[in-house]
Amino acid sequence: MLNKKTLKFTFIDMAVIILVIAAISFFFFRMSRVLDYKWEWEAIPSYFFFLDPVTGKLKANILIIGFFTTIKLSIWSTFIGFFLGTISGVMGAKGSFEQRFVSRIYVESIRNIPSLVLVIIFYYFVSSQFLDALYLDRWLRDSSNTIQQITGFLFARPENINSFISAIIALGIYEGAYVSEIIRGGIISIPEGQWEASWSIGLSRQKTFLLVILPQTFRKVAFPLAGQFISTIKDSAIVSVISIQELTFQGMELMSATFLTFEVWITITFLYFILTFPFSRSVAFLERKYALKQ
Amino acid sequence: MKKILCLSMMFLLLMGGYLSAQESVIEKIQKQGVIRVGMSTFVPWAMKDKQGNLTGFEIDVAKKLAQDMGVKIEFVPTAWSGIIPALLTGKFDVIIGGMGVTPARNLKVNFTIPYEYSGMSMVAHKSKAKGFSSLSDFNKKEVSIAVRMGTTAEQAARKYIPNATLKLFENESQALQELNLGRVHAVVSSAPMPVFHALKYPDKLFIPIKENFTKEPIGFALKKGDHDALNYFNNWILNMHAQGFLEEKKAYWFESKDWEELVK
Repeated sequence: MLNKKTLKFTFIDMAVIILVIAAISFFFFRMSRVLDYKWEWEAIPSYFFFLDPVTGKLKANILIIGFFTTIKLSIWSTFIGFFLGTISGVMGAKGSFEQRFVSRIYVESIRNIPSLVLVIIFYYFVSSQFLDALYLDRWLRDSSNTIQQITGFLFARPENINSFISAIIALGIYEGAYVSEIIRGGIISIPEGQWEASWSIGLSRQKTFLLVILPQTFRKVAFPLAGQFISTIKDSAIVSVISIQELTFQGMELMSATFLTFEVWITITFLYFILTFPFSRSVAFLERKYALKQ
Repeated sequence: MKKILCLSMMFLLLMGGYLSAQESVIEKIQKQGVIRVGMSTFVPWAMKDKQGNLTGFEIDVAKKLAQDMGVKIEFVPTAWSGIIPALLTGKFDVIIGGMGVTPARNLKVNFTIPYEYSGMSMVAHKSKAKGFSSLSDFNKKEVSIAVRMGTTAEQAARKYIPNATLKLFENESQALQELNLGRVHAVVSSAPMPVFHALKYPDKLFIPIKENFTKEPIGFALKKGDHDALNYFNNWILNMHAQGFLEEKKAYWFESKDWEELVK
């Protein structure tokens, strides 16, 4: 960097900080006046972990279970999204006319309908026609305990497996459309000279693409893709409408049972934040570190 | 918007339902050794206890049913607004979820004979609904009522206090929150929840009308055209009435508050 600015604390900074603090305290003051709410925070920790009276061991309660379900959902749907998005993105950038057409239809139709609608339609129509016919849940129930535990750890228990799979596919299709646009942009941004240079040393079109273009593309799009993963985590909250027992759904169940509305919402907000914030900071850090060397 | 979506979905689902092959749900349950029960959280019908396990009147009934059939039980917690479409698309075998038998619902699903009766009751805000003591006090345009969307409470409010402005919420807790904040005059909901809630905040809330203003039968809901299952469940319910099981559970969940410390 050429000229590094030295940080100087000015009068304006001071004023801004004071104003922000004043605004926040006014907000909380008003809130406590208007809300007139009986806070009962002491009940919340037991919904993370509780002491099992039978075994005397600490066991995860519904908020922690929901938290991990959200992580599982995000990881699997990201895999599906990256897979679909890469195919569609490559087709959109360098495919034949028909391939570009298919890719465009996929991207435009998904990006122009609300994710909520997509998830609901997928769950009620597609999954009940196809997924239920696979009898995955029946097979799982008949299988041994070890297999049930492994799939329970990676996906979901037999009673939830069908809706879980339908949720990750729906989310994956949704994220795939955005990934597709990122990848397509990445491929297009590779200069034409790279293609010409590869051909001139005798590489075929296919090899050029796989060995020269694609690796450079992935390097370019790595950070936007990481950003997409973070938004997948946040988007995963919408599958609570199809009763996937992820963080938001568990929170709403908890509120219905205990009426601790604000405590639970605030806790959930915090849980999402500690999930996404480290990711976005580390992405920003890596971007600073590696972006220059490209 | 959401309502239109639900309705149009239901319509399409019904068309799909006629096409699917028919096998009695009873046979299917026996074959798989598991009954899948759809439900939604409604205090004290069904709710999560401190250990994250489901508990409540409904849960006891469903567990007893599974035990008598000699099968395992799986509960499928489902958002209330989507519970009928979920039944029709086979996400579970039967709804045991405090569902009131209404003519409109009955056009879409079959109901068993009632295993319990519920009624609508109302809890009101002390300063906002000061002096209100009858339904006609609430039946004014400037009065706002919070209810849970898609429930019989919503229907009851539309029928008995048609002039009041309704605010619809996805969950009961949101409706009650609105009442606690004093932004609505009252919440209409199935007994006994309003009474419990008024007892919890005695300085803020009160019960304007002592008796329930509706009485509605509660039944299991299942897919249409399944006579074997309907017959089985009906007779099971008759048996449970005869044995006093349902009355005993009713006394525990609806007339006592002993269960309260299980939950919070």
